[in-house]
Amino acid sequence: MTKKQEHQEKSILIKKDPALFSALAAVWISLAVFIFLPLLKLLWATFFINGSFSFANLEKILRKPYNVKAFWNSIILATSVSISGTFIGYFFALAVTRTTWPKILKWFLGAVSILPLISPPFTSSISLTLALGPNGMLLKAFGIKNLNFYGFWGTWFSETLTYFPVAFMVLTAILSTMDANLDDAALSLGASRGRMFRTVTIPLSMPGISNSLLLLFGSSLADFATPLILGGHTFPVLPTQAYLQITGMYDLRGGSSLSFLLLIPALLVYLFQRYLIGKKSYVSITGKSGARSEFARLPVALTIIVLVMTLFISIFILYLYFIILWGSFVAVWSVNNTFTLEHYAYVFGHGSKAITDTLKIAVVSTILGSILAVVIGYVVQRKKFPGKRILEFSSMLNYALPGTVVGIAYILAFNEKPILLTGTMTILVAAYVFRYYATGIRSVVASLQQIDPALEEASMSLGADTTRTFLHVTIPLIIPAVLAGMRYLFIHCMTAISATIFLVSVRWTLLTTRILESMTELQFSQASAFSIVLIVLVFIADSIMMALMKLTTRKFGTSQEQIYGNTGA
Amino acid sequence: MMKKLFVLIMLCMMMLPSLLFAQGTLNVYTIMPEKYATLVFSAFTADTGIKVNFIRLSSGEALARIVAEKKNPQVDCLWGGPADTYEAGVLEGVFEQYKPKEADLVPAKFRSANNYWTGIGVIPLVFMSNAKFLKEKGLNPPTSWEDLLNPAYKNALQMADARTSGTATERIYTLVKVYGEDGAFAYQKKLHQNIQLYTKSGAGGAMPIATGQAGSGVFYIVDALDIQQQGYDVVLSYPKEGVTYGVEASGILKGAKNLDAAKKLMDWASTKRLGEVMVAQKINYIPTRPDVKVTNPALDMSKVKLIDTDIEWKGKNRQGYVERWINDVIQQ
Repeated sequence: MTKKQEHQEKSILIKKDPALFSALAAVWISLAVFIFLPLLKLLWATFFINGSFSFANLEKILRKPYNVKAFWNSIILATSVSISGTFIGYFFALAVTRTTWPKILKWFLGAVSILPLISPPFTSSISLTLALGPNGMLLKAFGIKNLNFYGFWGTWFSETLTYFPVAFMVLTAILSTMDANLDDAALSLGASRGRMFRTVTIPLSMPGISNSLLLLFGSSLADFATPLILGGHTFPVLPTQAYLQITGMYDLRGGSSLSFLLLIPALLVYLFQRYLIGKKSYVSITGKSGARSEFARLPVALTIIVLVMTLFISIFILYLYFIILWGSFVAVWSVNNTFTLEHYAYVFGHGSKAITDTLKIAVVSTILGSILAVVIGYVVQRKKFPGKRILEFSSMLNYALPGTVVGIAYILAFNEKPILLTGTMTILVAAYVFRYYATGIRSVVASLQQIDPALEEASMSLGADTTRTFLHVTIPLIIPAVLAGMRYLFIHCMTAISATIFLVSVRWTLLTTRILESMTELQFSQASAFSIVLIVLVFIADSIMMALMKLTTRKFGTSQEQIYGNTGA
Repeated sequence: MMKKLFVLIMLCMMMLPSLLFAQGTLNVYTIMPEKYATLVFSAFTADTGIKVNFIRLSSGEALARIVAEKKNPQVDCLWGGPADTYEAGVLEGVFEQYKPKEADLVPAKFRSANNYWTGIGVIPLVFMSNAKFLKEKGLNPPTSWEDLLNPAYKNALQMADARTSGTATERIYTLVKVYGEDGAFAYQKKLHQNIQLYTKSGAGGAMPIATGQAGSGVFYIVDALDIQQQGYDVVLSYPKEGVTYGVEASGILKGAKNLDAAKKLMDWASTKRLGEVMVAQKINYIPTRPDVKVTNPALDMSKVKLIDTDIEWKGKNRQGYVERWINDVIQQ
């Protein structure tokens, strides 16, 4: 521990560092424009009535018991989803990193598990309804009657399926970058594989686990699409209430007051996570290790549980997506089952602009977002400077806020001079970047926590400056984490809807809004075809990214790629 | 290096929009479903040569956006959507007054008294039921609001949520007209016992009813007929106590950048031509021009008891009714 403190003291000394200062300045400016300004505009709408400060809006909201219930529901839901999602995600990550299963099986798990992630949440909600909702296909098949799917259980189930892949990605990156020699050490010291798992693997996964808990808590807290479809009236949550307040009651003030309440749990969880990781050292890549060995396998009993659970979940997910695939190829869902390509003709005809727009926006957002995420993650984890915690916290604010509110805040902030952005591609890119680079920042931070700063200091003491060290030492070491973040960012840019539904314009439109449109216009087949096209596009882009990653890691010659490559898809 | 990178990023992000508005184009938010708007606007383009760029939004989103974009309107017109949304917009000062050329031939009850909006179609409420469901339960299609209280419908009704849907508020207006205000909410409390789900959009329950997930619900005729035209086995019926109807409107936004083109759209919409396009393309609104001949027998309203409502009354009471619905009905 003293060693780490020493390192930190040294980093204070590197304060006179021009690269750091210009990086910080650029980060602060972009945060000011794209996070603080919209938020201030929103707070102004919440707390200022006719120019004077007032709690009246908030009070009005809190006086309604339904809203208070929504607050507690949100907390309960987000907690349940973060636990169940992380749990399942950990099992999947163990399956691909700690077993000797055939490669094809690991690929299958990876490929299936990203399906819920790469389709808009409401799409899987719809197929879930068809399977498990009233009169659902699965219920009929098993003769179950009167299962009340709407409410907490349906929402929890759907969100767990939607968000566990995030945990899977984060935890795989962590599990695959651990030092396998530690496993050897534990085993050769006489520990059983079970004991090794408890005392080596789990503690070393902690940064990933708490990271994943936080991410899932945040995702669930902000998700409005799933509870909107599956929550019913018995299970109101805050984002839905905020969304309904804004879109239904035309009440921007009430909506922003409601979402203001969401900041409190987000803040608490964040502080809790810092406390959890806080003082412990999880350094496992030191640059001092000798020949790398294989990870030890899991205990047999655990392997069986992992196998059954991951296979069962994967097959269920496939079933849900089969419903959508089926829907996209039949003439009229559940009435006329003749095969047709007419829905795809519609998608590539009427929907072609949405497809190209979405791809352009996603590519640009992913590139810009990843650069920002790496820089922020790096300075936050490795550098000492005043306002570091504020920087880390505020960079995540857009992620903690429900997307609907970010969308409205962006309109409020960027619809007049000096920053006139409504109706442009820029506003969509900015909304995505500053909302979804959070995963990138988190995985960079978690990954850096495992890497001994001595590696960078060695580079420094050999005469390289900050920039050179960063590009040639740090970046290659954290590439798996960066790519995990990039994939997530790209996927989100392709599938997210909550913020951008307010930002699409007559000139820039998105696939997800088209899917929601088709859904509300009762064109189930077109919605399915749009979803399938979207899923295929993300799959292709994802494969390209994986190929690129393999190329870069080979060039840098790190030892992580062989394991990371196993995450599939 | 790092500095250059960030200058680049900032430049990319701060890039100001190029305000390219070509002559002879019109930008529109449509609340009318996209599949209909596409057909209507292509007819308009064919007639006038004016190209229409549009996106579809729900009525709440459209209004929230227009109000937020007030200082820099992104579009010239709002197209379709319930007239009470327009009335709410008038209170926010987002609409431009304009009286279309043939407005006088549109009955006054389908137009704004101050020329802020003009009606383009009328849509009454209707019951829609799954035929198989009715047969299995041995029920006749519902012909009275009281029929929906039958315990046979328990957990089988899907209808719209009043917080988000104009269809739902229309339902409340009808019930208030039929039962009086207190009676309407007492009725809805009882109805609540049979509700499976309140859907966020007005048409949200239509597909579940079509596929048998739910049994019956209350919809605007345009959504119900759409399901029937797609080939689903559903039955449409009207309550004998009567139904109110929604007026779909259109209007120009204050500060419209293509004002002339916007006026041309309003003029075109006030002519018989719009109604004829809707009839020909099977867009199931009842045209606001009484002189357009409707061919679909389902839109023949001669045997249906239609209750006239004052749009100003709707606009004034909407918020209060929705709050009461939340407090009395869904929170009981």
